[in-house]
Amino acid sequence: MKSIAVNIISSAKIYAKVKIDDLEEKRLVPNMMMRRRLTRNAKVLLYLSDKCGFNSGKVVYGTCFSELEETAKIANAVLDGGLLSPTSFQNSVYNTAPSYFSLINKDKDEMITISAGMKTSREAIKTAALQSLVSGQRVLCVCVECINIKNIQEINRCANYLEAGAAFVLEADENTSGAKEIEDIKTEGMMDSLKEIMSVVDMHERLNDKILVEL
Amino acid sequence: MKSYINNYELLCDAGDTDNLMEAIYAKKSAITVSEDYIKDQKAGLGIMQYDNIYDTLKDVVAKVLEQSNLENFHDTLLILGSSVGGMQECEEIFYSQRSYKNINPNRYSMNALTDFLEKEFGFYDSRAVSTACTSSANALLLAKRLISVGAYENILVVGADGLCKSTVMGFYALGVLADRACTPFDKNRNGMNVAEAVGAILVQNSKNNQSIEIKGVGASSDAYHMTNPDPQATGAVSSMNAAVKDAGIRLDEVSYINAHGTATLANDRVESLAIEKLFGKSVYVSSTKAITGHTLGAAGAIEAIISCEVIKRSMIPPQTGLSELENQNIKVPTQTIKMDIKNVISNSFAFGGNNASIVLGVVK
Repeated sequence: MKSIAVNIISSAKIYAKVKIDDLEEKRLVPNMMMRRRLTRNAKVLLYLSDKCGFNSGKVVYGTCFSELEETAKIANAVLDGGLLSPTSFQNSVYNTAPSYFSLINKDKDEMITISAGMKTSREAIKTAALQSLVSGQRVLCVCVECINIKNIQEINRCANYLEAGAAFVLEADENTSGAKEIEDIKTEGMMDSLKEIMSVVDMHERLNDKILVEL
Repeated sequence: MKSYINNYELLCDAGDTDNLMEAIYAKKSAITVSEDYIKDQKAGLGIMQYDNIYDTLKDVVAKVLEQSNLENFHDTLLILGSSVGGMQECEEIFYSQRSYKNINPNRYSMNALTDFLEKEFGFYDSRAVSTACTSSANALLLAKRLISVGAYENILVVGADGLCKSTVMGFYALGVLADRACTPFDKNRNGMNVAEAVGAILVQNSKNNQSIEIKGVGASSDAYHMTNPDPQATGAVSSMNAAVKDAGIRLDEVSYINAHGTATLANDRVESLAIEKLFGKSVYVSSTKAITGHTLGAAGAIEAIISCEVIKRSMIPPQTGLSELENQNIKVPTQTIKMDIKNVISNSFAFGGNNASIVLGVVK
């Protein structure tokens, strides 16, 4: 088990109790047809990548629950005996959000989606560090959860923020001097699947720009 | 540091690894035609004989541990590749109760499967890759890279997906589901077979006399369309090129490509073009999805296991179901070819234009 340092180049976060108000979709995706197809996770990812100033290169995306709204649409259509929407089906896979990033930015690099339950962002950060280490390039690590669907209260017992995401651009650095462990900063009501990446963004906002990551 | 595949096992519609290889060489498709999923419609599906996905995972992983040089998995990283995770169980609850109330959120996502395996086997850590149909190919890609930088000595890659009603109906909605066993690369092919499987592969930094090396990995994005591949095949060419470059071999040192070969109109046309552009007729190509169906997130692991067996047996698999080859500029055998096989490429392509290629080869 190997640890490396990563330098944080830029970072951003956003969250809302119910729905994030302005994700600047019209500016970020001028093409209306494309914009109308975007999922909530994709919109949040595009917003965060823009705030980080990243539009090309390797992306590691973390999500525990992924495209819950599209999945719910499919499940309800099956239950009602109706035809499924092809758009909902293609938008229901876990790599939908980074795929839209790739499409919109014409980015032909590697897009990896990591899902690991409540430790999703921790594992996504590890994977992003690996991708940067082997490529020598800057990598975008971005984690998003959007669980704002009808009847979510039937199952949600811990998250107060139904839409949330955080991102940072990193580059691997084998020199670990001065690198800090990711702090255990808890935002009350935030899904634990986003805990580590939210902490990294908080650390960066406090001018810590080098963290230690065990691969 | 090099990466070696030292042990593996699988379960799919054709049975375990030995059963599957027998079916592949006998050109005996294991696809079932079912009328249970779509009203008044037949669907060709790859259905496993099993009770539930969790018990199957436990059995397959236990067999790999038993064959291995490890006493346990306590120092092993688990990387799962899956597209549906625990959804099979959760959608059944929703369909029967019309409510989310009795769904356990911890049994819904990818971690439903990794948490189960961690509890059963005590892995050092776990993560899941979920990039639709490239999930377990990308899991192998990460495993190779983690070993190459000296982060781990042992990594278990598991590919697992169970059949879900929503998946079968989703592919039907896209108009790509075949009503009989699929016929990859055939001029008159009529779509894919959704299927299920579990495969487990132990990747280590040390070799034994049965090892197959993961020589190279490559990945790319089409940046073209959410479900249709780039008709110029730039993404598929790029991922194969990257894998061959990573392997440090020449294109003419590849003997066989285990194609993604879903038998959809779009995939096979574009994958054929990519192979034609890179290799012409210098390499044999076939798709074993004619036997297994498309096992979605498990496909990368299942087809890596098939590729290992192809190298060990020195036998190129014939293309099952092929009557008339659409692209005459690639070499698709209809009979088993016995030959010395040094390197094989296993291709996986997915929604979102996500591409992954793995080069597997004999250990020098």
